[in-house]
Amino acid sequence: MKRAPLVMMGTVAGLAGVLSFNSTPAKLSLESLASSSSSTSSAPSTTTTASSSPPPTTATTTPATGPTPTTTPTTAPTTTTTPPPVTTTTVSSGVRTAVGPSVDYNFGILSVQVKVSGTKITNVSIAAINDGGNFRSVSIDQQAIPLLEQEVMQAQSGNIQSISGASYTSAGFIQSLQSALSKLGL
Amino acid sequence: MGTVVTIDIYRGDFDDHSLLESSIEAAIAILHDADQHFSTWKSESPLSRIRRGDLDVDDAPAIIGEVLQQCVVARTFSEGWFDPWAMPGGVDPTGLVKGWAAQRALEALRHDTIDGAIINAAGDIASFGGPTANRRFRVGIASPANPRSLACIVESPGAVATSGSYERGQHLFDPRQGLFSTRVASGTVVGPELGMADALATALVIGGAEVLDILERMDNFEGLIIDDDGTLLGTTGFPIIQ
Repeated sequence: MKRAPLVMMGTVAGLAGVLSFNSTPAKLSLESLASSSSSTSSAPSTTTTASSSPPPTTATTTPATGPTPTTTPTTAPTTTTTPPPVTTTTVSSGVRTAVGPSVDYNFGILSVQVKVSGTKITNVSIAAINDGGNFRSVSIDQQAIPLLEQEVMQAQSGNIQSISGASYTSAGFIQSLQSALSKLGL
Repeated sequence: MGTVVTIDIYRGDFDDHSLLESSIEAAIAILHDADQHFSTWKSESPLSRIRRGDLDVDDAPAIIGEVLQQCVVARTFSEGWFDPWAMPGGVDPTGLVKGWAAQRALEALRHDTIDGAIINAAGDIASFGGPTANRRFRVGIASPANPRSLACIVESPGAVATSGSYERGQHLFDPRQGLFSTRVASGTVVGPELGMADALATALVIGGAEVLDILERMDNFEGLIIDDDGTLLGTTGFPIIQ
Protein backbone atom coordinates (compact mmCIF):
# COMPACT_ATOMS: atom_id res chain seq x y z
CA MET A 1 0.00 0.00 0.00
CA LYS A 2 1.72 3.15 -1.11
CA ARG A 3 0.67 6.74 -0.98
CA ALA A 4 -3.00 5.87 -0.87
CA PRO A 5 -5.06 8.47 0.91
CA LEU A 6 -7.90 7.45 3.13
CA VAL A 7 -10.78 6.32 0.98
CA MET A 8 -14.11 7.31 2.39
CA MET A 9 -17.46 5.77 1.91
CA GLY A 10 -20.20 7.70 3.57
CA THR A 11 -23.70 6.30 3.78
CA VAL A 12 -26.85 7.69 5.23
CA ALA A 13 -29.94 5.88 6.35
CA GLY A 14 -31.19 3.24 4.05
CA LEU A 15 -28.03 2.61 2.12
CA ALA A 16 -25.96 -0.29 3.28
CA GLY A 17 -22.34 0.67 3.00
CA VAL A 18 -21.01 -2.70 4.02
CA LEU A 19 -19.18 -4.68 1.42
CA SER A 20 -21.19 -7.39 -0.15
CA PHE A 21 -19.66 -10.32 -1.92
CA ASN A 22 -20.88 -11.20 -5.36
CA SER A 23 -18.36 -13.77 -6.35
CA THR A 24 -18.18 -16.70 -8.69
CA PRO A 25 -18.53 -19.27 -7.24
CA ALA A 26 -20.88 -17.80 -4.69
CA LYS A 27 -19.77 -19.95 -1.81
CA LEU A 28 -20.66 -17.62 0.93
CA SER A 29 -21.88 -14.11 1.30
CA LEU A 30 -23.68 -11.96 3.75
CA GLU A 31 -26.92 -10.20 3.59
CA SER A 32 -26.46 -6.58 4.51
CA LEU A 33 -29.72 -5.21 5.73
CA ALA A 34 -30.65 -1.59 5.39
CA SER A 35 -31.65 0.39 8.44
CA SER A 36 -35.03 -0.08 9.98
CA SER A 37 -36.53 2.94 8.31
CA SER A 38 -35.46 2.02 4.83
CA SER A 39 -37.87 0.58 2.36
CA THR A 40 -35.23 -1.26 0.39
CA SER A 41 -34.07 -4.72 1.24
CA SER A 42 -32.27 -7.39 -0.67
CA ALA A 43 -34.09 -10.55 -1.53
CA PRO A 44 -31.72 -13.46 -1.20
CA SER A 45 -31.54 -16.02 -3.94
CA THR A 46 -29.76 -19.31 -3.48
CA THR A 47 -27.04 -20.99 -5.37
CA THR A 48 -25.47 -24.28 -4.43
CA THR A 49 -21.84 -25.17 -4.28
CA ALA A 50 -21.17 -28.80 -5.04
CA SER A 51 -19.04 -30.44 -2.43
CA SER A 52 -19.74 -33.64 -0.55
CA SER A 53 -22.74 -32.20 1.24
CA PRO A 54 -23.89 -28.98 -0.31
CA PRO A 55 -25.88 -26.79 2.02
CA PRO A 56 -27.57 -23.89 0.32
CA THR A 57 -25.68 -20.68 -0.05
CA THR A 58 -27.25 -17.33 -0.11
CA ALA A 59 -26.09 -14.89 -2.69
CA THR A 60 -26.68 -11.27 -2.03
CA THR A 61 -28.11 -8.93 -4.51
CA THR A 62 -27.66 -5.41 -3.32
CA PRO A 63 -30.44 -2.92 -4.01
CA ALA A 64 -29.62 -2.47 -7.64
CA THR A 65 -29.41 0.91 -9.18
CA GLY A 66 -26.95 -0.27 -11.74
CA PRO A 67 -25.74 -3.48 -13.29
CA THR A 68 -24.95 -6.22 -10.81
CA PRO A 69 -22.74 -9.17 -11.51
CA THR A 70 -24.50 -12.51 -11.77
CA THR A 71 -23.44 -15.48 -9.75
CA THR A 72 -23.44 -18.95 -11.22
CA PRO A 73 -23.19 -22.29 -9.49
CA THR A 74 -20.13 -24.34 -10.18
CA THR A 75 -19.26 -27.95 -9.56
CA ALA A 76 -15.60 -27.37 -8.89
CA PRO A 77 -14.12 -25.49 -5.98
CA THR A 78 -11.79 -23.72 -8.36
CA THR A 79 -13.07 -21.26 -10.83
CA THR A 80 -11.23 -19.14 -13.23
CA THR A 81 -12.98 -15.93 -14.00
CA THR A 82 -12.01 -13.52 -16.65
CA PRO A 83 -11.72 -10.22 -14.89
CA PRO A 84 -13.77 -7.57 -16.57
CA PRO A 85 -11.86 -4.67 -18.07
CA VAL A 86 -12.02 -1.37 -16.26
CA THR A 87 -15.20 0.18 -17.52
CA THR A 88 -17.55 2.86 -16.40
CA THR A 89 -21.26 2.84 -17.03
CA THR A 90 -23.94 5.36 -16.26
CA VAL A 91 -27.55 4.49 -15.67
CA SER A 92 -30.45 6.84 -15.69
CA SER A 93 -30.63 7.13 -11.91
CA GLY A 94 -27.26 8.88 -11.96
CA VAL A 95 -25.35 6.01 -10.40
CA ARG A 96 -22.08 5.33 -12.14
CA THR A 97 -20.24 2.05 -11.88
CA ALA A 98 -16.63 1.18 -12.41
CA VAL A 99 -14.72 -2.02 -12.05
CA GLY A 100 -11.12 -1.91 -11.02
CA PRO A 101 -8.38 -4.03 -12.53
CA SER A 102 -7.78 -7.50 -11.15
CA VAL A 103 -5.13 -7.58 -8.48
CA ASP A 104 -3.48 -10.09 -6.23
CA TYR A 105 -5.17 -10.18 -2.85
CA ASN A 106 -2.94 -12.79 -1.17
CA PHE A 107 -5.33 -15.65 -1.80
CA GLY A 108 -5.65 -15.12 -5.52
CA ILE A 109 -6.92 -12.48 -7.85
CA LEU A 110 -9.88 -10.23 -7.42
CA SER A 111 -11.33 -7.13 -8.93
CA VAL A 112 -13.59 -4.67 -7.23
CA GLN A 113 -16.72 -3.00 -8.48
CA VAL A 114 -17.76 0.34 -7.07
CA LYS A 115 -20.95 2.30 -7.58
CA VAL A 116 -21.02 6.01 -7.09
CA SER A 117 -23.84 8.52 -6.97
CA GLY A 118 -22.40 11.98 -7.33
CA THR A 119 -19.33 11.78 -5.14
CA LYS A 120 -20.81 9.28 -2.76
CA ILE A 121 -19.95 5.63 -3.00
CA THR A 122 -23.12 3.64 -2.66
CA ASN A 123 -21.83 0.15 -3.12
CA VAL A 124 -18.61 -1.77 -3.27
CA SER A 125 -18.50 -5.39 -4.25
CA ILE A 126 -16.18 -8.05 -5.56
CA ALA A 127 -16.62 -8.13 -9.33
CA ALA A 128 -14.58 -11.20 -9.97
CA ILE A 129 -12.53 -13.51 -7.81
CA ASN A 130 -10.21 -16.40 -8.44
CA ASP A 131 -8.68 -18.06 -5.42
CA GLY A 132 -6.37 -20.20 -7.53
CA GLY A 133 -7.74 -23.47 -6.27
CA ASN A 134 -4.58 -24.14 -4.31
CA PHE A 135 -4.63 -27.18 -2.06
CA ARG A 136 -4.98 -25.34 1.20
CA SER A 137 -7.81 -23.20 -0.05
CA VAL A 138 -9.64 -26.22 -1.46
CA SER A 139 -9.31 -28.30 1.69
CA ILE A 140 -10.48 -25.48 3.87
CA ASP A 141 -13.35 -24.87 1.51
CA GLN A 142 -14.49 -28.46 1.74
CA GLN A 143 -14.30 -28.69 5.50
CA ALA A 144 -15.02 -25.24 6.72
CA ILE A 145 -17.50 -23.93 4.24
CA PRO A 146 -20.41 -26.28 4.93
CA LEU A 147 -20.24 -25.60 8.66
CA LEU A 148 -19.71 -21.90 8.19
CA GLU A 149 -22.45 -21.68 5.63
CA GLN A 150 -24.81 -23.21 8.13
CA GLU A 151 -23.75 -20.75 10.75
CA VAL A 152 -24.05 -17.87 8.38
CA MET A 153 -27.46 -19.00 7.26
CA GLN A 154 -28.51 -18.67 10.87
CA ALA A 155 -26.63 -15.47 11.16
CA GLN A 156 -28.33 -13.99 8.15
CA SER A 157 -31.61 -14.32 9.88
CA GLY A 158 -29.80 -12.85 12.87
CA ASN A 159 -28.66 -9.87 10.91
CA ILE A 160 -24.93 -9.13 10.82
CA GLN A 161 -24.13 -5.51 10.30
CA SER A 162 -20.39 -5.55 9.76
CA ILE A 163 -17.32 -7.73 9.27
CA SER A 164 -13.98 -7.52 11.01
CA GLY A 165 -10.87 -9.00 9.43
CA ALA A 166 -9.06 -10.09 6.35
CA SER A 167 -10.64 -8.97 3.14
CA TYR A 168 -11.15 -5.41 4.26
CA THR A 169 -7.49 -4.76 4.65
CA SER A 170 -6.21 -6.49 1.59
CA ALA A 171 -3.86 -4.25 -0.27
CA GLY A 172 -5.02 -5.85 -3.48
CA PHE A 173 -8.61 -4.99 -2.75
CA ILE A 174 -7.70 -1.41 -1.98
CA GLN A 175 -5.62 -1.12 -5.15
CA SER A 176 -8.45 -2.31 -7.34
CA LEU A 177 -10.92 -0.09 -5.53
CA GLN A 178 -8.66 2.94 -5.87
CA SER A 179 -8.34 2.36 -9.60
CA ALA A 180 -12.06 2.03 -9.99
CA LEU A 181 -12.52 5.26 -8.08
CA SER A 182 -10.01 7.13 -10.23
CA LYS A 183 -11.85 5.98 -13.29
CA LEU A 184 -14.89 7.71 -11.85
CA GLY A 185 -12.87 10.86 -11.28
CA LEU A 186 -12.79 10.57 -7.49
CA MET B 1 -2.52 5.01 4.75
CA GLY B 2 -4.59 3.14 2.21
CA THR B 3 -7.35 2.49 4.70
CA VAL B 4 -10.85 1.87 3.42
CA VAL B 5 -13.51 3.17 5.79
CA THR B 6 -17.25 2.64 5.80
CA ILE B 7 -19.71 4.63 7.86
CA ASP B 8 -23.21 3.36 8.51
CA ILE B 9 -25.89 5.23 10.37
CA TYR B 10 -29.00 3.48 11.58
CA ARG B 11 -31.12 6.53 11.98
CA GLY B 12 -34.38 5.15 13.31
CA ASP B 13 -36.83 8.04 13.23
CA PHE B 14 -34.18 10.74 13.03
CA ASP B 15 -34.86 12.56 9.80
CA ASP B 16 -32.69 15.65 9.80
CA HIS B 17 -30.81 14.63 6.69
CA SER B 18 -28.61 17.67 6.50
CA LEU B 19 -27.49 17.17 10.07
CA LEU B 20 -26.64 13.55 9.32
CA GLU B 21 -24.72 14.60 6.22
CA SER B 22 -22.70 17.16 8.13
CA SER B 23 -22.03 14.63 10.89
CA ILE B 24 -20.62 12.22 8.36
CA GLU B 25 -18.49 14.98 6.89
CA ALA B 26 -17.22 15.81 10.37
CA ALA B 27 -16.37 12.15 10.96
CA ILE B 28 -14.54 11.99 7.63
CA ALA B 29 -12.63 15.18 8.48
CA ILE B 30 -11.44 13.58 11.73
CA LEU B 31 -10.17 10.56 9.80
CA HIS B 32 -8.38 12.71 7.24
CA ASP B 33 -6.88 14.77 10.03
CA ALA B 34 -5.49 11.62 11.64
CA ASP B 35 -4.02 10.61 8.30
CA GLN B 36 -2.37 14.00 7.89
CA HIS B 37 -0.73 13.72 11.30
CA PHE B 38 0.15 10.04 11.48
CA SER B 39 0.61 8.65 8.02
CA THR B 40 4.01 7.06 7.65
CA TRP B 41 3.42 7.21 3.90
CA LYS B 42 3.38 11.02 3.99
CA SER B 43 6.97 12.15 4.37
CA GLU B 44 5.98 15.50 5.87
CA SER B 45 3.45 14.24 8.39
CA PRO B 46 4.50 15.15 11.93
CA LEU B 47 4.93 11.48 12.73
CA SER B 48 7.21 10.89 9.75
CA ARG B 49 9.31 13.86 10.78
CA ILE B 50 9.51 12.56 14.34
CA ARG B 51 10.55 9.13 13.09
CA ARG B 52 13.48 10.52 11.17
CA GLY B 53 14.48 12.88 13.95
CA ASP B 54 13.44 16.13 12.27
CA LEU B 55 10.86 16.95 14.90
CA ASP B 56 10.64 16.53 18.63
CA VAL B 57 7.42 15.13 20.10
CA ASP B 58 7.27 18.11 22.45
CA ASP B 59 7.26 20.50 19.47
CA ALA B 60 4.73 18.47 17.50
CA PRO B 61 0.96 19.04 17.49
CA ALA B 62 -0.59 17.97 20.79
CA ILE B 63 -2.51 15.19 19.14
CA ILE B 64 0.71 13.31 18.51
CA GLY B 65 1.59 13.30 22.19
CA GLU B 66 -1.94 12.25 23.04
CA VAL B 67 -1.69 9.17 20.83
CA LEU B 68 1.79 8.28 22.06
CA GLN B 69 0.48 8.50 25.61
CA GLN B 70 -2.24 6.01 24.68
CA CYS B 71 0.51 3.81 23.26
CA VAL B 72 2.32 3.89 26.59
CA VAL B 73 -0.82 2.67 28.30
CA ALA B 74 -1.34 -0.01 25.66
CA ARG B 75 2.25 -1.14 26.00
CA THR B 76 1.74 -1.51 29.73
CA PHE B 77 -1.54 -3.39 29.40
CA SER B 78 -0.13 -5.69 26.75
CA GLU B 79 2.98 -6.34 28.87
CA GLY B 80 5.16 -5.08 26.09
CA TRP B 81 3.72 -7.18 23.28
CA PHE B 82 2.47 -3.97 21.71
CA ASP B 83 5.47 -1.69 21.61
CA PRO B 84 5.60 1.12 19.05
CA TRP B 85 9.07 2.08 20.28
CA ALA B 86 10.54 -1.34 19.50
CA MET B 87 9.87 -1.01 15.78
CA PRO B 88 12.70 -0.36 13.40
CA GLY B 89 12.58 3.02 11.70
CA GLY B 90 11.34 4.98 14.70
CA VAL B 91 8.26 5.05 16.87
CA ASP B 92 5.28 3.65 14.99
CA PRO B 93 1.84 3.87 16.59
CA THR B 94 0.10 2.47 13.50
CA GLY B 95 -1.25 -0.51 15.44
CA LEU B 96 -3.29 1.87 17.60
CA VAL B 97 -3.88 4.98 15.48
CA LYS B 98 -6.40 3.49 13.07
CA GLY B 99 -8.69 2.39 15.88
CA TRP B 100 -8.14 5.56 17.83
CA ALA B 101 -9.06 7.70 14.82
CA ALA B 102 -12.18 5.68 14.04
CA GLN B 103 -13.31 5.92 17.65
CA ARG B 104 -12.91 9.71 17.58
CA ALA B 105 -14.74 9.94 14.27
CA LEU B 106 -17.61 7.92 15.70
CA GLU B 107 -18.19 10.61 18.31
CA ALA B 108 -19.14 13.02 15.51
CA LEU B 109 -22.06 10.76 14.71
CA ARG B 110 -23.69 10.75 18.11
CA HIS B 111 -27.20 12.15 18.09
CA ASP B 112 -29.78 11.51 20.73
CA THR B 113 -32.40 9.75 18.73
CA ILE B 114 -30.53 7.67 16.20
CA ASP B 115 -30.53 3.96 16.82
CA GLY B 116 -26.87 3.37 16.14
CA ALA B 117 -23.81 3.99 14.01
CA ILE B 118 -20.83 1.94 12.86
CA ILE B 119 -17.49 3.03 11.53
CA ASN B 120 -15.50 0.20 9.98
CA ALA B 121 -11.90 1.22 9.29
CA ALA B 122 -10.38 -1.62 7.32
CA GLY B 123 -11.83 -4.23 9.62
CA ASP B 124 -11.51 -2.32 12.90
CA ILE B 125 -14.98 -1.36 14.00
CA ALA B 126 -16.26 1.29 16.39
CA SER B 127 -19.96 1.46 17.11
CA PHE B 128 -22.64 2.67 19.46
CA GLY B 129 -26.24 1.59 19.75
CA GLY B 130 -27.53 -1.02 17.37
CA PRO B 131 -29.48 -1.63 14.17
CA THR B 132 -32.66 -0.85 16.07
CA ALA B 133 -33.24 0.73 19.44
CA ASN B 134 -33.35 -2.55 21.35
CA ARG B 135 -30.55 -4.49 19.64
CA ARG B 136 -26.76 -4.49 19.64
CA PHE B 137 -24.63 -4.71 16.54
CA ARG B 138 -23.50 -8.14 15.44
CA VAL B 139 -20.11 -8.38 13.78
CA GLY B 140 -18.80 -11.25 11.70
CA ILE B 141 -15.14 -12.18 12.11
CA ALA B 142 -13.63 -13.10 8.76
CA SER B 143 -11.85 -16.42 8.53
CA PRO B 144 -8.16 -15.69 7.95
CA ALA B 145 -7.83 -18.72 5.68
CA ASN B 146 -10.79 -17.83 3.53
CA PRO B 147 -11.85 -14.21 3.64
CA ARG B 148 -15.19 -15.02 2.07
CA SER B 149 -16.10 -17.10 5.11
CA LEU B 150 -16.83 -16.18 8.67
CA ALA B 151 -15.03 -17.77 11.56
CA CYS B 152 -17.63 -16.61 14.06
CA ILE B 153 -20.05 -13.84 14.92
CA VAL B 154 -19.82 -11.60 17.95
CA GLU B 155 -22.03 -9.10 19.67
CA SER B 156 -20.13 -5.83 19.71
CA PRO B 157 -19.58 -4.05 23.05
CA GLY B 158 -18.55 -1.00 21.06
CA ALA B 159 -15.16 -1.85 19.61
CA VAL B 160 -14.06 -4.84 17.56
CA ALA B 161 -10.52 -4.97 16.19
CA THR B 162 -8.91 -7.75 14.18
CA SER B 163 -5.29 -8.12 13.17
CA GLY B 164 -4.15 -10.78 10.79
CA SER B 165 -0.87 -12.32 9.79
CA TYR B 166 -1.43 -10.92 6.31
CA GLU B 167 -0.39 -7.60 7.85
CA ARG B 168 2.96 -9.06 8.83
CA GLY B 169 5.80 -6.84 7.66
CA GLN B 170 3.66 -3.75 8.03
CA HIS B 171 3.51 -3.18 11.75
CA LEU B 172 3.33 -6.62 13.34
CA PHE B 173 6.70 -6.49 15.01
CA ASP B 174 7.56 -8.96 17.76
CA PRO B 175 9.58 -7.05 20.37
CA ARG B 176 10.70 -10.28 22.02
CA GLN B 177 12.31 -11.62 18.89
CA GLY B 178 13.11 -8.28 17.30
CA LEU B 179 11.53 -9.13 13.99
CA PHE B 180 8.22 -9.06 12.13
CA SER B 181 6.46 -12.20 13.20
CA THR B 182 3.05 -13.53 14.13
CA ARG B 183 2.13 -16.63 16.08
CA VAL B 184 -1.43 -17.02 14.87
CA ALA B 185 -3.32 -16.28 11.69
CA SER B 186 -5.71 -13.78 13.21
CA GLY B 187 -6.42 -12.07 16.53
CA THR B 188 -9.59 -10.23 17.48
CA VAL B 189 -10.12 -8.04 20.52
CA VAL B 190 -13.43 -6.55 21.64
CA GLY B 191 -13.97 -3.91 24.30
CA PRO B 192 -15.24 -0.42 25.00
CA GLU B 193 -12.70 1.58 22.99
CA LEU B 194 -11.21 0.92 19.59
CA GLY B 195 -7.73 2.45 19.96
CA MET B 196 -6.88 0.08 22.80
CA ALA B 197 -8.69 -2.82 21.12
CA ASP B 198 -6.62 -2.16 17.99
CA ALA B 199 -3.35 -2.16 19.95
CA LEU B 200 -4.32 -5.30 21.85
CA ALA B 201 -5.34 -7.09 18.64
CA THR B 202 -1.93 -6.23 17.23
CA ALA B 203 -0.31 -7.67 20.36
CA LEU B 204 -2.58 -10.71 20.18
CA VAL B 205 -1.67 -11.76 16.66
CA ILE B 206 2.01 -11.29 17.46
CA GLY B 207 2.01 -13.12 20.79
CA GLY B 208 -0.82 -15.61 20.34
CA ALA B 209 -1.88 -17.65 23.36
CA GLU B 210 0.46 -15.82 25.69
CA VAL B 211 -1.35 -12.54 24.98
CA LEU B 212 -4.71 -14.30 25.18
CA ASP B 213 -3.77 -15.12 28.79
CA ILE B 214 -3.14 -11.44 29.44
CA LEU B 215 -6.55 -10.60 27.99
CA GLU B 216 -8.16 -13.27 30.15
CA ARG B 217 -6.95 -11.34 33.17
CA MET B 218 -8.32 -8.03 31.86
CA ASP B 219 -11.86 -7.15 32.84
CA ASN B 220 -13.14 -5.13 29.95
CA PHE B 221 -11.35 -6.50 26.89
CA GLU B 222 -11.84 -9.97 25.47
CA GLY B 223 -9.90 -11.77 22.79
CA LEU B 224 -9.98 -14.52 20.21
CA ILE B 225 -7.18 -16.13 18.25
CA ILE B 226 -7.49 -18.20 15.11
CA ASP B 227 -4.53 -20.39 14.26
CA ASP B 228 -3.39 -21.60 10.86
CA ASP B 229 -5.62 -24.68 11.12
CA GLY B 230 -8.65 -22.51 11.69
CA THR B 231 -9.00 -23.42 15.36
CA LEU B 232 -10.65 -20.73 17.45
CA LEU B 233 -9.56 -20.03 21.01
CA GLY B 234 -11.09 -17.23 23.04
CA THR B 235 -11.09 -15.67 26.47
CA THR B 236 -13.86 -16.77 28.80
CA GLY B 237 -15.96 -13.68 28.25
CA PHE B 238 -15.49 -13.36 24.51
CA PRO B 239 -18.97 -12.42 23.27
CA ILE B 240 -19.34 -15.05 20.61
CA ILE B 241 -22.85 -15.51 19.35
CA GLN B 242 -22.21 -18.31 16.87
